[in-house]
Amino acid sequence: MTILRLSDISKTYKMGDLDFQALKGVNLEIDAGEMVALMGPSGSGKTTLMQIIGLLDRASSGSYWLRGRDITTLSENERSEARNSEIGFVFQAFHLLSRQSILENVEVPLMYAGFTAKERRERAFAMLEKVGLADKWRNLPTQISGGQKQRVAVARALTMTPAILLADEPTGNLDSRTSIEIMALFQELNDEGTTVIIVTHEPDIGDHCKRVVRLRDGLNESDRLNPNQHRAIAVGMNAPNASAALRGAAL
Amino acid sequence: MTSIVRTATPEKPRAKRSGLSLPQTFTIAWRAILANPMRSVLTALGVIIGVGAVVALTSLGGGATGSITSSLSDLGTNLLTVSSGGGRNAGPPGLVRTGVKQTITMGDVEAIAAIAGIEGIAPTMQKSLQSKFASENSGVTVVGTTPEYETVRNSPVETGAWFTESDMLGRKRVAIIGYQVGQDLFGNASPLEQKIKLGNQNFTIIGVMPDKGASGFSSPNSQVFIPLSTYQQRITSELSATGEQTVNSVSVQGSSKEGLTEVQTKITELLAQRHKIEDANEYDFSVQNQADLLKSLNQITAILQVFLGGVAGISLLVGGIGIMNIMLVSVTERTKEIGIRKALGAKPKDILTQFLVEAIVLSVGGGFLGILSGLSLAYGVGSLLNITPIVTASSIVLAFSFSAVVGVFFGYYPASRAAKLDPVDSLRYE
Repeated sequence: MTILRLSDISKTYKMGDLDFQALKGVNLEIDAGEMVALMGPSGSGKTTLMQIIGLLDRASSGSYWLRGRDITTLSENERSEARNSEIGFVFQAFHLLSRQSILENVEVPLMYAGFTAKERRERAFAMLEKVGLADKWRNLPTQISGGQKQRVAVARALTMTPAILLADEPTGNLDSRTSIEIMALFQELNDEGTTVIIVTHEPDIGDHCKRVVRLRDGLNESDRLNPNQHRAIAVGMNAPNASAALRGAAL
Repeated sequence: MTSIVRTATPEKPRAKRSGLSLPQTFTIAWRAILANPMRSVLTALGVIIGVGAVVALTSLGGGATGSITSSLSDLGTNLLTVSSGGGRNAGPPGLVRTGVKQTITMGDVEAIAAIAGIEGIAPTMQKSLQSKFASENSGVTVVGTTPEYETVRNSPVETGAWFTESDMLGRKRVAIIGYQVGQDLFGNASPLEQKIKLGNQNFTIIGVMPDKGASGFSSPNSQVFIPLSTYQQRITSELSATGEQTVNSVSVQGSSKEGLTEVQTKITELLAQRHKIEDANEYDFSVQNQADLLKSLNQITAILQVFLGGVAGISLLVGGIGIMNIMLVSVTERTKEIGIRKALGAKPKDILTQFLVEAIVLSVGGGFLGILSGLSLAYGVGSLLNITPIVTASSIVLAFSFSAVVGVFFGYYPASRAAKLDPVDSLRYE
C-alpha cells in the first residue's frame, strides 16, 4: 500500500534577485512499512525534500499524496493538523522543550490534538515505556543523556501514530554506540509496522535501512533496495523491547 | 511489548475534541511566566504601579471628600455664614480670615436676627491660645459665642451643659472644652468643675464636647467655647470704625432649606444698607451658603477625578508598552520553541492564543498586585492622615478590566508575530 507519493516536486528559493532551485522535479513513492534512507551530499536537496515531506514547507510545483490524500491543496490549519497526526518528527538536535518534563514533552502533540489530560498522560507514559524511559518521566531534558533525549523525541514522534516517522540526521549529535542504539530502535519500530524515513549523509546509517534513495543536485540519482540490511546490535542496551527486537531478528 | 506484531498498523488515537483547550493554554502561559519570575514582575511593574496609584488615589480622594462633606454637614443644617471681608469666594466657615478688617458689628447681628425665616443666630469670635491645667498644656482655639451656637451649629455637649443667657449676661468665666483638650489636660479624669487657664484667665469647665474626629483642615476637637461677652471683655475685642463691638463671623440657621437663598439675599441687602455700600463688588462682608461650599468642593473633586483618570491612562499606557516590549523580546527568544510547537502540530491560532494569554496573565496579574498594593497604600497613608479611604467596587473593577484590555491590546502584536513565524526558519533559529 502506497503511503506517500511525490511526483515532480520542485522547490525554488528566492535569494534576493537570484532564484535558487533546490529541487528540480523529484519523484518518490513509499509503501507502508518501508524503512527508507534519504541520502545525498550537501546541496543535493535532501533537507528541502524532508521539509516538504514533513509539511514544514510547500513545494513550488508538483503533487504530494499522503495516505491517499492530496496534501498540496491543504490550508495552513489543515497542514498543522496533518503535521500533528500524520508526521512524527525526530530532529538531529532533539528539539525537546527544555522547561517541560520528558512526559510533558511527549504529551505536546496529544495536547494540540485535543486529548484530555488523563488520556494524554496514559498515552505518553505508554510511549515512554516503549522507548525504555518510563522511569525517567519526571526528568527535565537537561537531566538526561543525548541518546535518551533522542528516545524521548522518538516517543513524542510516535504518540499520534503518524503515517511516517521522519528523522532528520537522528544520529548526527550522538556517539557511535548511542547511534547504533537509536538505529536499533528505528528498526524495531519498523518491524512493528511503522514507516520510517531517515534523512542522512552517513553511509553507515543508510546501510541500516531496507531502501536507499539518493538525491544529487535536486534530482533523483538512485533508488535501490538494500538486500544486506544491517541489523543494529545495541551493546549494553537496557530497553527490554529493543533487545526483544534483536531476538526477533536473530530468529 | 514482548510479542511483536509485524504487520498490523498500530491503532491511531482519536481525540474527542480538536485543538488546544483554554486551561491548557493558561498552563503553558503560566509556566512561561514562572520560568522568569523576576523579569515577569518587572514587566508587570508598569501596570502594578499604574493600577496601584489609581486605586490608592481614588479611595483616598473619596475618603477625604467624604470626611470634608460630613464635617460640612456637621456644622449644622440650613446654615449661612456671614463674615467680614468681601468677595464671593471667602474661605470655609470656622476659619479666621486674618488681615481682614472686622466689619460685622453687634448691631448688625441684632438686625440680622430680626429677619424673618431665621431659626437661630450665633455670632462668633475666635483666637488661638494656650490652655493650661496644672502642668499640662494644650493649644486650643478659643471660640466666643452665644448659647444658640449649640442648636445653630448642631454642637451639643457630651457631658455637662452649654452656658446659658445668664452666663452671657454675667460675663461668667465658664468654658466648654473639645474632646482633645479634655484628653490632653485631664487624661481619663473628669474635667467638669475643674479650673483651667486660657491665656492668663481662669475658666471653670462646665461641659465637654463629644469626639468629632479630625476633619481635613480644622480640628473641632481642639476648640474651647466661652460666652461671647466674656470673650470680648477678657480675651480680646475689636471695635469698628463707628466704635461698636465686632465679631469674626455669624452663623445663621434658616428655618427651611427652601427659604435659605431668600434669607441669604435679605441678609446681604440688610448689611449693604447698614454699611451704606451700593456696589456689590465693594461689599466688606460676605454671606455664604453651605450649598455653595459643597458645590465648589464637588467641582474640585470632579477636576481631581479627571486628573486621576489622566494619570491612570498614561501609566497604564506606559505599562502596556513595557509588556509589549518584553513580549516581543520573548517571542524572539522563544523562536525555536515556536518552531518545535509548530512542527508538532500547533496551529497559528494556538501560538497566537499562547502568547496573547501570556500577555493578559501578566497585565491582569499586574492589575491584581496593583489593586493589593494600592489598597495597602491607601490604608497606610489614610491612617497617617486620619482619612478613612473609601474603596468602591467600581474603581476596583475598572482598574482590573483596564489592565485586561491593556494586555489584549499590547499583547496582540507580539502574539501575531509569533503566530506568523515560519516553522522552517524558526527551527533553524539559534
